Amino acid sequence: MIVELPHIGRSTAPRRISAVMIRHGYATIRTPHRFFDFGIWPVVDTIFYSSIAKYAQGAGASASTRATLLVAAGIVMWHVVYQSQLAVSTGFFEEVNARQLPSLLATPLRPVEWLAGAALQGLVKVAIGVSAVSLTAAVLYHFNVTTTGVAMLPVMALLLLTGWALALLVIGVVMFLGSGTEMLTFGLLFVLLPLSGAFYSTSALPAACRPISAVLPTTYTFRAARAVAGGDPSPWSQIGIAAVGTGALIVAVVAFAVVALHTFQRRGFISRYL
Amino acid sequence: MKDEPPVLRAVGLRKRFRRLTAVDGVNLSITAGERVALVGPNGAGKTTTLMSCLGAVTPDAGTVELLGRSTPRDRRAALARVGFAAGYLPLPPRMRVLEYLMMYARLYGTADPRAQAEVGLRRYGVERLARRWGAELSSGQRTVVGIVKATMHTPALLVLDEPTASLDPDVALRVRANILQQCQQEGTALLVTSHNMTEIERLAQRVVFLAAGRVQVDGPVDGIAAQLGSSTLEEVYLHLRESDQKATSARSGEPR
Repeated sequence: MIVELPHIGRSTAPRRISAVMIRHGYATIRTPHRFFDFGIWPVVDTIFYSSIAKYAQGAGASASTRATLLVAAGIVMWHVVYQSQLAVSTGFFEEVNARQLPSLLATPLRPVEWLAGAALQGLVKVAIGVSAVSLTAAVLYHFNVTTTGVAMLPVMALLLLTGWALALLVIGVVMFLGSGTEMLTFGLLFVLLPLSGAFYSTSALPAACRPISAVLPTTYTFRAARAVAGGDPSPWSQIGIAAVGTGALIVAVVAFAVVALHTFQRRGFISRYL
Repeated sequence: MKDEPPVLRAVGLRKRFRRLTAVDGVNLSITAGERVALVGPNGAGKTTTLMSCLGAVTPDAGTVELLGRSTPRDRRAALARVGFAAGYLPLPPRMRVLEYLMMYARLYGTADPRAQAEVGLRRYGVERLARRWGAELSSGQRTVVGIVKATMHTPALLVLDEPTASLDPDVALRVRANILQQCQQEGTALLVTSHNMTEIERLAQRVVFLAAGRVQVDGPVDGIAAQLGSSTLEEVYLHLRESDQKATSARSGEPR
């Protein structure tokens, strides 16, 4: 008897992707405290950083109105990266903590399908988080993201891709080092935040930090974001540089994740989750 | 049955974890519809062998062919007709049983996941669990749901790691009967690990004894005890375990 195998390809991939989306949708809806991460925390961030900028305005700093706007814009941009990264990486930790990796690895689910499902489901969180930030920035600090022009769309897309790439980096590291390293989810972002100049020009960084900042693709994306938010009518060269940097980041991170998965299987790390 | 191509063919499997050799040259072949038990003491290499066969662990040496497809290259295609469950794995805490089963039905590419999940629950007589939360289930109920998950897509090969370890005797009996019925009616091959020799006598046709990562004995359940001068499988197990412990003591310095 030759065993007939069903076609495992594009035709059934949407079903597997939807399975992952639904699974993580349930996990999100049924964990109300997670709403703090993508609904409340972004608002707190906006108020915190924008108020600092506004305080500087009150203290008489020059060009401080523009600074307040740039900080508010930076918060909106930052939360696109933060929320998209968090959505995917916490999805992976959900599988780890629920000890689902052995069962998932024994199905036809491809890693890229899992990633697509988690990322697409995470778009809901990104939308909620960014909406909360945008609304707060518009109402309290008079920064309206919708008036920044069409150039904001590719910038948002690049930030979204950056968040997903960073999530893949964190997942790869956790596959290498095991659970307990989940703190990287937050730690990595808060290292990148100051070094990428999310709220200011990287020329404000100490000289020792600037070379590190210069090699981070996120630096160029935030530079493009600041140019757009600051009203630069033609920030396309900045966006082009950011796109090249983000592309390079994605290629590097995907290669790392593939190596991490192979290492995970070769070293038998699945035994950590049995 | 012997002329049929195997649903699983593992040749020369070897896996080391640092200084420990978990699997050491294991050969394992299972034909369509054949029911095989993998038996051995704790640390014998049973789970590593299973994980290597499923492709979740990449062996250091050896080859695995699953349903005629070589792994890891074509393992995803083969895994569409393979079911896996382990008695020790939990269900996700924030999903109801039906949702969990529907998720796996979708992962196997099923067009009607709800129908498949409901049929699976009915087959094992646990429809009443459909609306229960994964975290609410007893270990026995969890095991049964895991087996439903592994069998609802009518796999050609069913891989079960200690499936009834946590079940009450009556539940274990019913689960075994259902597994057996499924294997016989649908021609599903079975690879099962267990420490329960009675279970193996009831479920398996062939038994493979592993110790220190090596196959010690491979033969039919009926008659292997007599061949080895023992009266029961349990006696064979205890005898092989004793030999293994002596061999391990002799290999001083090599960690287990």
